[in-house]
Amino acid sequence: MDLSLITFVQILVAVIAIICLMVANAVVMVYVERKVAGFIQRRPGPYEVGPWGTIQAICDSMKLLAKQIFVPANVDLVLFFLAPVLAFFPVLLLFLPIPFGPYLTPWKTPDGLVLILAFAGFGVLSNLLAGWASNNKYGVLGAARAVSQSIAYEIPLMLALMAVVFQAGSLNLSVIVEKQGWVPWEWNIVTQPLAFFIYLICLVAETNRAPFDLPEAESELTAGFHTEYSGMGFALFFLSEYANMLLVSFICATFFLGGYKGPIIDGFWWTIIKAYAVMVFIVWIRWTFPRVRFDQLLNINWKWLLPLGLLNLWITAIIIKVVN
Amino acid sequence: MFRAIWDNIKGIYSLLVGMAVTWDFFFSPRYTIHYPRKVVERENLENYRGPLELTRGKKEQDQTRCISCQLCVKACPGHCLKVTKGKESKSPESWLYDFSLCCLCGACVEVCPTGALAFSHKVYMVTTTREALILDLLKDLKERVAETPLLVEAPDSTASQEPSAAVVKEA
Ligand code: SF4
Ligand code: SF4
Repeated sequence: MDLSLITFVQILVAVIAIICLMVANAVVMVYVERKVAGFIQRRPGPYEVGPWGTIQAICDSMKLLAKQIFVPANVDLVLFFLAPVLAFFPVLLLFLPIPFGPYLTPWKTPDGLVLILAFAGFGVLSNLLAGWASNNKYGVLGAARAVSQSIAYEIPLMLALMAVVFQAGSLNLSVIVEKQGWVPWEWNIVTQPLAFFIYLICLVAETNRAPFDLPEAESELTAGFHTEYSGMGFALFFLSEYANMLLVSFICATFFLGGYKGPIIDGFWWTIIKAYAVMVFIVWIRWTFPRVRFDQLLNINWKWLLPLGLLNLWITAIIIKVVN
Repeated sequence: MFRAIWDNIKGIYSLLVGMAVTWDFFFSPRYTIHYPRKVVERENLENYRGPLELTRGKKEQDQTRCISCQLCVKACPGHCLKVTKGKESKSPESWLYDFSLCCLCGACVEVCPTGALAFSHKVYMVTTTREALILDLLKDLKERVAETPLLVEAPDSTASQEPSAAVVKEA
């Protein structure tokens, strides 16, 4: 790995582009999510602000920018302000190894997956800090839930991705995409359906979204770990939630849905279409299912996903050994 | 063990059923009515309990049935009614109703011996001050009388502001 000047500039440009992508994604997804939620509940969703409510999300973000950041009494000031920053910035790094297009990869590193899995834990660390620093019982409960949930679900997530890595024989995300064809039956979703299923469940749990949104369960914990945050503090958590969603959707598209490959011409548009299809699926799930209980959440993981993931990995390894 | 696996498969099937329901809902028509541009049809407001209004008399349709007995004033838990008896007759001189205090409980409607009170179907009521919520029901009655002088000859109740509950009571 040579960090020459060109690589450095390339990464810098990529980081700026990714920040733009994250913010634009949050604005679009807020609108899409509210519209989908409305349609599923047979109401129109945002409607009044702009044509069909399209500038509602922008108005909301303006409001958040202008809001005061209220600091409650007896908070740990350093951690209180560090937590939202920590939630937002490590996500940037995670986008670096993702191959958006055949030539459009921010940083072609042979160990892309290791980078992603190593830094994925930062999100939950920031949740923990936020909950702890804000001196609020709901915050602490939400943080505790976030940690135990994340510890539980990261293992089957890794196992599911590992099965694909075994099959491709590489940790490099570009190679994983290259090993898949452009038609749907050449994608990894066909060869690894169980891994895809496990990954889909873990993806919802990892991004703390309904039905696994226990760290911020509104009806039980007001807002969980970000109860005490307002203004930009809250906005950063919000942005990072959507950025995390985007990230897991991109990983899903890369690992299971053939990445940038598609009919006619390969390119970043296929990655984006596939990733957003996954995102809409996540939104759809959120507005369909009720929240699980905490013991159910852990039971699903330790009793089912983990053994299934191990079994899947074992079978994959045997098949690869036999075929080779 | 096998039973647990079977239960899980059934559980996953039920999740798919749920997703099919929301999929259907996503493509079905919406119920929302965008208020300033469209209003709710009157048939859908028949059982809406809006602010109180005075019903009309059986014979003298331009008069209230109220005999100023003050029963409603005593029954009201929110103390929102103020009925002043007229000097010459029993019928009231002023009939003030503070909608900002009313909880729409219906105690006044139940207790009235002459059936002089009923809930209206007014949905579209906007004010910017509290004072505007103190309604003069006699004035309101007069306005309605001016609009439709006779109810029997104009039984088209959808056009008038007369509440159907009062019409049923009369029958
Ligand atoms: S509905 Fe209840 S609160 Fe309202 S005026 Fe009648 S008795 Fe009072
Ligand atoms: S109870 Fe009926 S009749 Fe008596 S004052 Fe009230 S409205 Fe009039």
